[in-house]
Amino acid sequence: MNRKFISLLLIFAFVFSALAFAETVTIKFLHRWTQEPDRSFFEEVVKEFEKQNPNVKVEVQTVANDPFKEKIKVILGTKDAPDVFFSWPGEFTNRFIRAGNILDITSYMLKDGSMFDYVGSQLIPFIYDGALYGLPYRLDGKVFVYNKEIFKEAGIDHPPATIGEFMDDLEKLAALGMAPIAFGNIRPWAVSHYIAAVNQKSVPEDIWEIDVDPAVGTWSDPGYVEALKIYSDLIPYFNDYTNAISHDDARAGFMQGQHAMMYVEIVEIPEIEREGPEGFLDKIGVFPFPATDGPGNQSYLVGYPEGFVVSSNTKHPEEAVAFLKFLTGREMGRLELEMLGWFNGIKNLVSPEEVKPIIYETTQLILDSNKMVNWLDSSLHAKIWSVYSVELQKLTDQITTPAKVMEEVQKIASEVRKEF
Amino acid sequence: MKSKANFNILFVIPALLIVLVFMYFPILMNFFNSLYRMTSYSNARTFVGFQHYAKISSDPIFYTALKNNALYAIFSVVFQVGFGMLLAILLEGKFVGRKIGTFFRNVLFIPSIISIPAVALLWYFIYHPRIGLLNGILASIGLDSLKTAWLANPNTAIYSVIMMSQWQYTGYIMVLLVVAIQKIPRELYESAEIDGANEFRKAIHITIPSIRSMISVCTIITVIGSFKLFSEIYIMTGGGPYNTTQVLGTYMYRSAFLFDEMGYGSAVAVIIFVITFGLSLVQLKSFKST
Repeated sequence: MNRKFISLLLIFAFVFSALAFAETVTIKFLHRWTQEPDRSFFEEVVKEFEKQNPNVKVEVQTVANDPFKEKIKVILGTKDAPDVFFSWPGEFTNRFIRAGNILDITSYMLKDGSMFDYVGSQLIPFIYDGALYGLPYRLDGKVFVYNKEIFKEAGIDHPPATIGEFMDDLEKLAALGMAPIAFGNIRPWAVSHYIAAVNQKSVPEDIWEIDVDPAVGTWSDPGYVEALKIYSDLIPYFNDYTNAISHDDARAGFMQGQHAMMYVEIVEIPEIEREGPEGFLDKIGVFPFPATDGPGNQSYLVGYPEGFVVSSNTKHPEEAVAFLKFLTGREMGRLELEMLGWFNGIKNLVSPEEVKPIIYETTQLILDSNKMVNWLDSSLHAKIWSVYSVELQKLTDQITTPAKVMEEVQKIASEVRKEF
Repeated sequence: MKSKANFNILFVIPALLIVLVFMYFPILMNFFNSLYRMTSYSNARTFVGFQHYAKISSDPIFYTALKNNALYAIFSVVFQVGFGMLLAILLEGKFVGRKIGTFFRNVLFIPSIISIPAVALLWYFIYHPRIGLLNGILASIGLDSLKTAWLANPNTAIYSVIMMSQWQYTGYIMVLLVVAIQKIPRELYESAEIDGANEFRKAIHITIPSIRSMISVCTIITVIGSFKLFSEIYIMTGGGPYNTTQVLGTYMYRSAFLFDEMGYGSAVAVIIFVITFGLSLVQLKSFKST
């Protein structure tokens, strides 16, 4: 009797464990944060998700920022494509959507109403042809951070609001014997952020919105040349060897007090707190790119959320979307803020007193902005950016002129239009 | 007899299949891909015939890349083969003692066994404009005017990368030549000494002619290697500033994987194949003649 009972028990145990094993699904997750504390955060997310969903196993793959841009293009064309992966909204993602590589998650988000948990303006960048393709992982925008002590030393009592005031302040700061702006452009995405700001201020909104569409963009508005002239005026105030040093090298110079200001992403502010001298965060203030006299919109902020998308080839769309929602949802959003200092796209994530004032205020700049202007490099067609980026490095080295830069851009844009 | 020959062929078939599938088929596929406009992440493709080849022929970056590969080859032959041969002769001659010779042979060989990313990182910091060793040395000897951003200055960038490779591989070529020198019969040197030949004459009349075939192999290895160049440029400069350090390998990679022109990248790959194949033929021919 006992023998029979034990045999039956063993059979049941075997069958149930086999069923449980058969039901376990594995989803591959690819992100681009290879260092601490980001790695630990993602490990925590995966651990928590697997705890709450015992039938799902998440396999994490990590590739650093620059190689990520190349690797994702290769693996999306194979059967090993990750189920959930990082992507920059805009043309970087849109080309994958056009190629049918990314899952439309609109119905998944509407089914349980989770779409409405997110800040609307931060979902817009993930919409293509009326469908939603991704969710925001962290909000981001570009601002100048400045050293209040150095500003005071130069006799500047408030940050500049207009480009005229900005130029006056740069002169006063240069008189202290320093290069006022820290700038590292060895990877030209750095200059793309400046150019996105000046383009948007110098060119009417409806025109640059058309121009970023590779099928129709001509880049012929004279405002683009004017924008580059504004950028050219700033070049004498950058540190030496701009095109030879990295953004991180330049930031180290700013944190050491060698420069008075730097154009940084809002998500870098927690990093400045972690890496800078003790109490450095209290010494800095922020201001958006100053307004110009141009015909563009002066109040928009350069920056876009970064997020994650689901592969259209996933065999487990339900589980992949569930993981995406979990990763970008409220619970993990609070953990992200606690561990990394970044806001995700969830509405009313925390109250103001729960975070440092500078982090809350800069995030409010994003939430209050009527519209965000995408980073130039990820909003442009790859071929157009290939020419634009090289010309901008030449301009930074002052070996070409704004007019010549735009001539080259117009030439390549015309070539690209023929492909559509 | 005939059936035995047929039977033997069966043993060759697996190896032949592997070579066909993994070497010749991809080469053929690459050529077909070069006739299409396509990306790495999509199955969609448009037939464009030989348009990519026509575009390459009018692309100034292609000629910059070709020129840089040729420069790399010239410098590599002069430094790695020329200077490597000089070092081999010095270390195997009577100029240095046996122990010192072995020591320097090992020291000079070590860079070639370090991985390229590690070497590139090391030299990246040597060339760093702010904290780099090179600018530091120049400043310390009062040559501040020569300080520059070595990897970001279009006039110095390609030469800076080339010099890194010479540092890395001269020792490797030197060791190959040392092995060849060690095979030369000692009697030849003894006879020359009896005839009153000095070290210089022995090198000119015995050593160099005796290792001629190895010098030729080293030259061809170096030249072919120069046209397959990729990692050094990719890590050190990424082809910049303003594409002045592009070589064919990075130019192909940039087109295919950065700028979504897989077909164009394939066409560049075909050109690299033609060049290296031509050089290999020269190599085969030189083997036969030596």
